[in-house]
Amino acid sequence: MAQIELENITKQFGDVKALNNVNLTVRDNEFFVLFGPAGAGKTTLLKTIAGAEFPEKGLVRVGGEIVNHVESKDRNVSMVFENYALYPNLSVFDNIASPMRSRLYKKDEEFIKTAVDKVTKMMKINHLLERKPSQLSNGQRQRVALGRCLVRTPNVFLMDEPLAHLDAKLRHFMRGELKEMQTSINSTTIYVTHDYMEAMSLADRIAVLNHGEIIQIGTAQEMYYTPCNEFVARLFGEPEINILEGKMYIEADDIYFKVLNQDVLLHPAQDTIEALRDAGTNSIHIGMRGNDMQFAFEKPGDEWMEGTVYANEPIGNKVIMTVLIADKKISLTCPNDTVAEMDQKVYVKFNMINAIYFNGETKEFITRNNMSRYTAKKEG
Amino acid sequence: MAQLILKNVFKRYDGQKKKMFQKKKENDFAVKDVSYECKDGEFIGILGPSGCGKSTSLRMMAGLEDITAGEMYIGDVLINDLQPKDRNIGLAFEDYALYPPLTVYENLAFNMRAKKKSEQEIKKAIDYVAPLMKIDDLLNMKPPALSGGQKQRVNIARAIVRRPGLLLLDEPLSHLDGKMRQQLRQEIKRMHHEIKCTTIIVTHDQMEAMSLADRIIIMKDGEIQQIGTPLEVYDDPANEFVAGFIGEPPMNLMSSTIEKQGQKFMFTFEGSLLQVEVPRRYNKIVKDQMKVTLGVRPVDVLIAKEEVSSTPVPVAVYENLGDERRISVRVGEMLLSMTTPDDVYYEAGQKVQLIFHEERTHLFDPETGERIRV
Repeated sequence: MAQIELENITKQFGDVKALNNVNLTVRDNEFFVLFGPAGAGKTTLLKTIAGAEFPEKGLVRVGGEIVNHVESKDRNVSMVFENYALYPNLSVFDNIASPMRSRLYKKDEEFIKTAVDKVTKMMKINHLLERKPSQLSNGQRQRVALGRCLVRTPNVFLMDEPLAHLDAKLRHFMRGELKEMQTSINSTTIYVTHDYMEAMSLADRIAVLNHGEIIQIGTAQEMYYTPCNEFVARLFGEPEINILEGKMYIEADDIYFKVLNQDVLLHPAQDTIEALRDAGTNSIHIGMRGNDMQFAFEKPGDEWMEGTVYANEPIGNKVIMTVLIADKKISLTCPNDTVAEMDQKVYVKFNMINAIYFNGETKEFITRNNMSRYTAKKEG
Repeated sequence: MAQLILKNVFKRYDGQKKKMFQKKKENDFAVKDVSYECKDGEFIGILGPSGCGKSTSLRMMAGLEDITAGEMYIGDVLINDLQPKDRNIGLAFEDYALYPPLTVYENLAFNMRAKKKSEQEIKKAIDYVAPLMKIDDLLNMKPPALSGGQKQRVNIARAIVRRPGLLLLDEPLSHLDGKMRQQLRQEIKRMHHEIKCTTIIVTHDQMEAMSLADRIIIMKDGEIQQIGTPLEVYDDPANEFVAGFIGEPPMNLMSSTIEKQGQKFMFTFEGSLLQVEVPRRYNKIVKDQMKVTLGVRPVDVLIAKEEVSSTPVPVAVYENLGDERRISVRVGEMLLSMTTPDDVYYEAGQKVQLIFHEERTHLFDPETGERIRV
């Protein structure tokens, strides 16, 4: 049983507030991701839970017990770092066995063998037990490091960017491996990353941090479809979400937007209208993801906006086309055989059904279509 | 006119001679029998992992390294023994190497002043390139006050201010973070579109090469693996190395034994029950018990909607990444991944039947890595 509760945590390094009044409850057995840009305070928060940093203010509870003054080694947490920190002179078996041979957790060799056996089978490294770390590939080393972490059954696993230094290809596969393994981890896990795909893939819930403060807590779906503000919206998805500054016009029986100095009227989806009417401002920012637009080189109709191709970048399975409309860059995801000349005319249509609306003054989330679908889990 | 021509170019570093007796002879050259032609105004990407000879190639073009054997031409001038200053090239490296006490303007003017150009001429040249690299409002600032992205813009502007015949860029974006990198990538492309100068970029980042270059030269161990447009190297890889290097998420590359079952050929995999039908176009060239490396991109693995001949296998991993869904099944030690933009959901453990895209399933020789073509 290890629910983790953080209460009003503040941590300062000199004049810099690394953590500012952080409140967070991680449920027992949850896979919880701390996500945010560099310098957001993710690692500091993790270290606070590990007992490697001590906050100036606030309480840290693990399993209901206040652990502020409990030393790291007595907290029964297991940590994986970005660099694997394997013992180069020990075999894979001995590396994985090492935490169980430490004075604190000393177990008999029989027990150790069974435990190592079980975890190495799970990690699919049981054929490598005799090897030294230098004889392993990066991916295998990663699994050994994770295996060493998982061989104990601590109350809490703490993982600090364990995939960050792998190249993109290996990261894709290791993320899959880790995700597959998740079902066999029966402990609360807190995982730090700056990679949105890792966060979305692995997390039961995500906390987005920035400047030492928690901005939003929720599932991956909530982050992507109902981000609480424009900052969070920009963090998830590739290419980055387009934020169109628009003006809302409310008439008796109609409600529409104008964006980018264009005459085209954009009509919101039916079930967003009420929230938009109540927004309290006419300045509305419309979030549009790369997938949520169509393009054409001949004007198909009046609801299409004219722009010019700023850049057309093939990246393999898709093309990212950047279109300039009234000096604003809009990124579209296009099929991978799309060919366009620079500065060529192009027409863009926004699929308003997928628009995410923000308050233009506060940058905070107002509404989107089909809200209940993305937030249903929380209520249920 | 500045096309660049390489004819059977070799490079061996002096230090490597000693190793000749210890190591295999093939490993002796940093660049090995490389020939290609970059057309006037073309944007070429030289792509490969570290140690593949891409930077060495660039340094030979720049005159920073001797050419061990072979010929290199800019236009129709043989440049093997030409001084770097006489080659009419512009160079920008990963590190910006700007003069910190000089303003951006003075940094840009530095080389032209050394060549005793008139101030009027210099100003005209700078006024032309500064807006191209979006540094027109930075001209009076000094490098320490600039961000990494701004410094690299200045660095590239300095390389093009003298309007070289050949522009050489060595990993210009690798110091920069994601957003800045994407922005500068677009601006480099636009700058090239404007000045139409023959440009070579060296990079280890396949996405950078794909998005910038008209054609990509992929190198490994000093040798050219393939030359082609971004779409060609993506759709029609010459060998297993290229197939695995290009594309994100990476192509699934799996060892398979082909089995004949009745009239059909099936891919089988060691340590897995998975069997998937071999695309029929290969029927003429495959044999029972033939060993191949199968290559299929995650977008080209599909889940069958109706009954097909492949064996049902459980989903190992389902990931919802917002922009796309990724689904993986376990095949022996590997994960076979597929991606789809469709809003689908599969639970781990749920059985699915896979099909591989008929036209975009590739076979490679497991020994040599070469493509097996129909």
